[in-house]
Amino acid sequence: MPFIEPLPEDRIDQAGFGKLLKRSRDIQAPDELFVRILAHAPGYAKALHGAMHMAHAEGNVDHKLKEIIRVQLSRNAEDTYFTNLRSEKAKKEGLTEERIEAGCGDFENDPGFTDAEKWALRYAWLMYREPKKLNAEFYGEGKKHFSEAQIMELGGFIAIHYGMQVFMRTLRAFPMHDPEGNPISQEESEKTYGSSVGGRKK
Amino acid sequence: MRSASAKRDGLTEEMIDEGIENFRESDKFTESEKIALEYSELMQFEPEKIDGAFYARLQELYSDEEIVELGAFIGFNVGYHTFFRTLDFYPMFSPDGHLVSQEESRRIYGDRPTSHLRGAMARATGEGESEIESGSE
Repeated sequence: MPFIEPLPEDRIDQAGFGKLLKRSRDIQAPDELFVRILAHAPGYAKALHGAMHMAHAEGNVDHKLKEIIRVQLSRNAEDTYFTNLRSEKAKKEGLTEERIEAGCGDFENDPGFTDAEKWALRYAWLMYREPKKLNAEFYGEGKKHFSEAQIMELGGFIAIHYGMQVFMRTLRAFPMHDPEGNPISQEESEKTYGSSVGGRKK
Repeated sequence: MRSASAKRDGLTEEMIDEGIENFRESDKFTESEKIALEYSELMQFEPEKIDGAFYARLQELYSDEEIVELGAFIGFNVGYHTFFRTLDFYPMFSPDGHLVSQEESRRIYGDRPTSHLRGAMARATGEGESEIESGSE
């Protein structure tokens, strides 16, 4: 069980949480565990989940690309929760595990990614490893591929998701479902996904 | 950048510096405040040290609601400060509250985060600036 226990649904009686929980069940990244943990501080839960959802599942940058970035970031954060979640929306749009692995690996030399996608993946890769490399020249290159609005969308998305991954990492949480979508306990989830974040167990 | 609301509540630059540089040994912070500051420091630099025992210590001093508030606030800041750093922008106001250009703000605050008491205040007012520039900072 995470160090801060998720609230049972019948204790979440604040107005507006029905929408958050439904959205979590639909998208699954984050799943409702995150909402139920944050529900201890209801105002935070609504604001942060709303911002995370907008940054990840809405906007003008391809959701599948942002889903690869989200997994890449969560591995860097070493977070067992977010790294094992998968967006149902991205899966429905055709994103595969192979493509996620490619985006978390040697994407620079992968012909399956466009130059724009490589820039976005590099942006996330460098942000919390070598932020000094994200200089004017780097942003200049980004502007050849993305509008300033899209770059802000990507940057804000990277920042909020990485920040929440760092927080969740400390709570030792795991997804509420196995890779096939069946509900499982936290103990079973830890057994299924493992306590390291390198790859996704089948 | 400083919260105007926190300043109105009495927060000083000396308290900010003490909370960053010396909170463990300081007698200016309560045990609750010290563990909150430690939570923040560890989450950014050594998250692997935030384990069950650490959360148990937090739970002796804070409710779960307060811990979630603190943890999410810290995580949000860890994420955003690095992003903002890459954009290379500076506060719109000097430490004494004057509207300044980005160039002037860069000159006042410098290109590394440091105490306002060791440079920015003096550069904003011009008082003692020659001593700073001559290497006494």
